[in-house]
Amino acid sequence: MNRQANSKVMDGRAKTIRKTFSRETSVSTTIQADPAIVWALLTHASDFPRWNSTVTSMKGEIREGGSVELKSILDDKRTFKLKVREFVPEERLVWGDAMGSRVYTLTRGNGNSTHFSMSEKIGGPLFPLFAGAIPSFDEVFERYAADLKKEAETIQQSRK
Amino acid sequence: MTADQLTGEFETFQGELKSFLLRMTASVQDAEDLVQETYLKARSKIDTFRGESSLKTWVFSIGSNLARDLLKSKRRWPETVTDICREEALGNRQFFREAMQIRQTSPQGDFEIREHIAFCFTCIAKSLPLEGHLVILLKEVYGFKVREISMILQMSEAMVKYHLHVSRGKMMEIFDQRCSLINKEGICHQCTELNGIFNPKQNAQEELLKIEMAREVETRSRDELFDLRMKILQELDPFGSGAAELQLHHLEHNRQVMEKYLEENS
Repeated sequence: MNRQANSKVMDGRAKTIRKTFSRETSVSTTIQADPAIVWALLTHASDFPRWNSTVTSMKGEIREGGSVELKSILDDKRTFKLKVREFVPEERLVWGDAMGSRVYTLTRGNGNSTHFSMSEKIGGPLFPLFAGAIPSFDEVFERYAADLKKEAETIQQSRK
Repeated sequence: MTADQLTGEFETFQGELKSFLLRMTASVQDAEDLVQETYLKARSKIDTFRGESSLKTWVFSIGSNLARDLLKSKRRWPETVTDICREEALGNRQFFREAMQIRQTSPQGDFEIREHIAFCFTCIAKSLPLEGHLVILLKEVYGFKVREISMILQMSEAMVKYHLHVSRGKMMEIFDQRCSLINKEGICHQCTELNGIFNPKQNAQEELLKIEMAREVETRSRDELFDLRMKILQELDPFGSGAAELQLHHLEHNRQVMEKYLEENS
């Protein structure tokens, strides 16, 4: 996670750093909800399509050593098979495949607030060959962060 | 607290515990076994009760964990449970013979639409993820506070709120789509259909007017209608009402159908 890069990004706006052999997109936002609520949303795989407009389906278990099969609006015909690589409750979640890794970090803020960051780095020696065929993640990342913020804050404020 | 004090207090909420465990398991036998196990475990661990919560909360924690252990390896039911079970019941003469006999001979053999609404919720709630099922019953039907549920289920209050939000949303969505009492286009009419079978001389529309949720469907929000549905469950004792035996017979039928269905579709 490139914290320095993220700190320069506006709240909820995605930023992409392109290099010859890799591409990294990140987004961060402050959510007025307890980290446990944000964590719950990020770790209940089958619930993703309900609140996250960028995910069309997700199967599997997001836990230490778990794996998930994810379909995104970026390419609904393709199923991403991802392994959970790091799982530190309410702090850090990493999943990925041979192409790259998605890193989520949560930091407790003042009161019931959470600083949420998400980044994905893809790359490798053959990256220049297919880089042009991979769509931009910026819009999807921004929607993802906005959906997460909206849902977590709704739960935090629920009257029940 | 002594074991004798536990026994005395246990009796004051034993009925609620048994009802909760029935609504979790959909099995009279399992509910009765779990109540006994809960009591025995509470008695053997009474020295560890520190009074940090009420005794009822502490005992429900034991009961909830026993239910969780029993159910965690079992598959959840599909949302369409009532459709699947209806089809099976229609082809099962024995089921209707038994039901009619209960209707005619049992002091708990009435058929009431509101009882069937509660029954319907019990079946459909088994399609929720297990943790969500526990949370929604504890909060919406048995009146525990989020903090108490956090203690009962040993999860953070934030996680309780998450499960409650998701489960309420899911159940409202299912009923909004299916239940003809709150949606004229709803595909499920089983409560009024069965009322016609068991109470042929009754006017179903008149009966529905006695039910606040059905009566106020045009004026209440979907959240409020869901709360009124929960109020029906809060007010009913599935073992003690005048319709208990008929509904429990129906529930046992559905449980058996679901066991077979899940085995065949595994």
